[in-house]
Amino acid sequence: MNLEEGLEPDGGGSENWGPPVTRKSLMRGGLAALLVAPFTTSSLGAGGAQESDEEGTEASGRTESGGATDSEIVLGVSAAFSGPSRGLGAELYRGATAYFNHVNDNGGIEGRRISMKLYDDGYQPDPCVQNTMRLMLEDKVFLLFGYVGTPTVTRVLPILKKFQNESIFLFFPFTGAQPQREPPYGDFAFNLRASYNQETAGLVDNLVRIGKRRIAVFYQIDAYGRSGWAGVRAALDKHGERLAGEATYSRGEKFTGSMRKQVEILQGVSPDAVICIGAYAACAAFARDAVDLGLNVPIANLSFVGSENLLKLLTEGRDDTEKYTRLLINSQVVPSYEDTSIPAVREYRELMAQYDPQVPQELIQEEYAPFAHSFGSLEGFLNAKLLAEILRRLGPNPDRAGLEEAVFSVRDFDLGISEKVSFGADRRQGLQMVYHTVVEDGRFVPLDDWGARFA
Amino acid sequence: MKIRRLFQKTRFGIFAVFGLIVLSTSILCIYTVDTQLSAEYEVNTQNIAKTIADSSAGILLNQNLATLQSLVDQFLEIQGIRYIYITSETGEFLAHTFVPGIPEEILQSDHASTEPVERSLPGMGDFIEVGSPILAGVAGTVHVGMDLDVVALKIQRAIGQQVYLICVILVLGVLASIWFVNLAAKPLADLLAYAVDLARDGETEDLAERDILVREDEVGDMARLFLHVARRGTRSGTPPAAEGVSAPE
Repeated sequence: MNLEEGLEPDGGGSENWGPPVTRKSLMRGGLAALLVAPFTTSSLGAGGAQESDEEGTEASGRTESGGATDSEIVLGVSAAFSGPSRGLGAELYRGATAYFNHVNDNGGIEGRRISMKLYDDGYQPDPCVQNTMRLMLEDKVFLLFGYVGTPTVTRVLPILKKFQNESIFLFFPFTGAQPQREPPYGDFAFNLRASYNQETAGLVDNLVRIGKRRIAVFYQIDAYGRSGWAGVRAALDKHGERLAGEATYSRGEKFTGSMRKQVEILQGVSPDAVICIGAYAACAAFARDAVDLGLNVPIANLSFVGSENLLKLLTEGRDDTEKYTRLLINSQVVPSYEDTSIPAVREYRELMAQYDPQVPQELIQEEYAPFAHSFGSLEGFLNAKLLAEILRRLGPNPDRAGLEEAVFSVRDFDLGISEKVSFGADRRQGLQMVYHTVVEDGRFVPLDDWGARFA
Repeated sequence: MKIRRLFQKTRFGIFAVFGLIVLSTSILCIYTVDTQLSAEYEVNTQNIAKTIADSSAGILLNQNLATLQSLVDQFLEIQGIRYIYITSETGEFLAHTFVPGIPEEILQSDHASTEPVERSLPGMGDFIEVGSPILAGVAGTVHVGMDLDVVALKIQRAIGQQVYLICVILVLGVLASIWFVNLAAKPLADLLAYAVDLARDGETEDLAERDILVREDEVGDMARLFLHVARRGTRSGTPPAAEGVSAPE
């Protein structure tokens, strides 16, 4: 993009944040900068240094327009890269990075590289809010992308509404909760994955079908857990059933923690099955303690759990690797990464092998061993693939104001999986399908016959 | 011999009066702080419950329970608030903050009631719970539990600070009174010493030039009187004169 093409140096119009808001907000942003450890921009090009890229373009007097310059498009990311749920942010990021690297190595979007400005929120709402303010007001990113979690995203949505005149959108958060799918905030986010309501309905319908009507819920006591809880409740209601019981845990619980009290509470209601709405560390602890205390019923998890991390915790270092996993059912919102008959899976595996993306060293506070392939990284990959397509549809002069129209132009788009993606004014979620998996031979495989497995 | 003995009762009296003031002030302070802070915490808790009730009406009507839980979680960050739960008009729990589960006592309680109630929940502690209706109760009820231990700790701290201040004033007052008494007793001690010297040595040149004789207060009068009496004793038959001595009023 250049000045001859008619773009004002400051972006102008809707791309300008506006002086009154910016002044105040920059002060807040400055405070946030003191509170939140700063993390540097990730490197997305094959071996390219992000920082030097930025300095170079600044020095050359680039034309900047709300996160899109004539050389790059900056996406803002706040996700969990630390804490017990760091695997979720890491895997999602790795998958997205693999695809963006591929795009950048092939000329970018209209000559612009895609880069991500990363901040760690540790899956905690307050840091996520601070990071978002910083991304919007200081970093002036083009859009927000790849956020992780319901408690974090639900706190960010009012900010997006506040700045709705700036056309800042949140793309493809790693959460299936309803707040970013419904009024009053649904207009400020675009979702790719199926919702928790769809996931829980799939689980409940199948469990009820095989006679497991007494369904209890183990959930994280926050917006995420409540979202899943509400989904299970609504799905049971359709079958004329009510929740058999419930137990909760606090966000941030580790695998080393005890879930015995929760198991005992649920044992008291004699459930036929338990649906867990949590992150992998706590859900793995619950599955472990449930088996140890004799609660031998199907234990289902939602896609957010982080299946590979869950499996790793329940099997690593054990002789009987099936002890804690034979009754697991994991709901997924992307197809199996083992199914290489799917074109997008083949592409994903190829690019993951080619780039082997890693979380930037600056963000790593605790050791994390990434997986070669995971549902999380495949979801990140598909998110990135669709976002790149949307950015292409913005044309040679990317403008935030045109984002919504570009998204709505996506109709029956083939991402390379069996389901086509469509968006519209009343359709802000691209995919609807839910997949169910169980553990066999130490890996998640599709669950085809519920009756044979659990009846 | 110490003249200060003369003021022992005075000192005791001052100490007793100060003690009485401190005791009565402390009791009043404890009562006032306890009553007012307890009432204030209860009112604050009711206000929080009302705020949540007002904020959650629209959310509840839209059945947006994730947002409702998010709202509840934010209020839980207020110091002293230990639990919040929202029940529907039918008594169903729509959002709450209990881990690992909803206590039996709360499950069995009257969810539509908004009257303040004190609860002792096993493993959690003692609470004062207040409620607030959502849309006059037709959409449900918000219940907020304030930790009584936290309230008690804050009240104890406030009372402790005030009693500490009063005690400091007591100690300073007693020390000041002792100092003042000593200040008043010192001239009397000097006078006593002068009288003893006069009785022992009779009138000498040294005794006739002591500083105490030039004082213009009652002690000076007494010293001059003693000197006069001593002189008269040495001049037998001479009646005492009252030169330079003013009679006390």
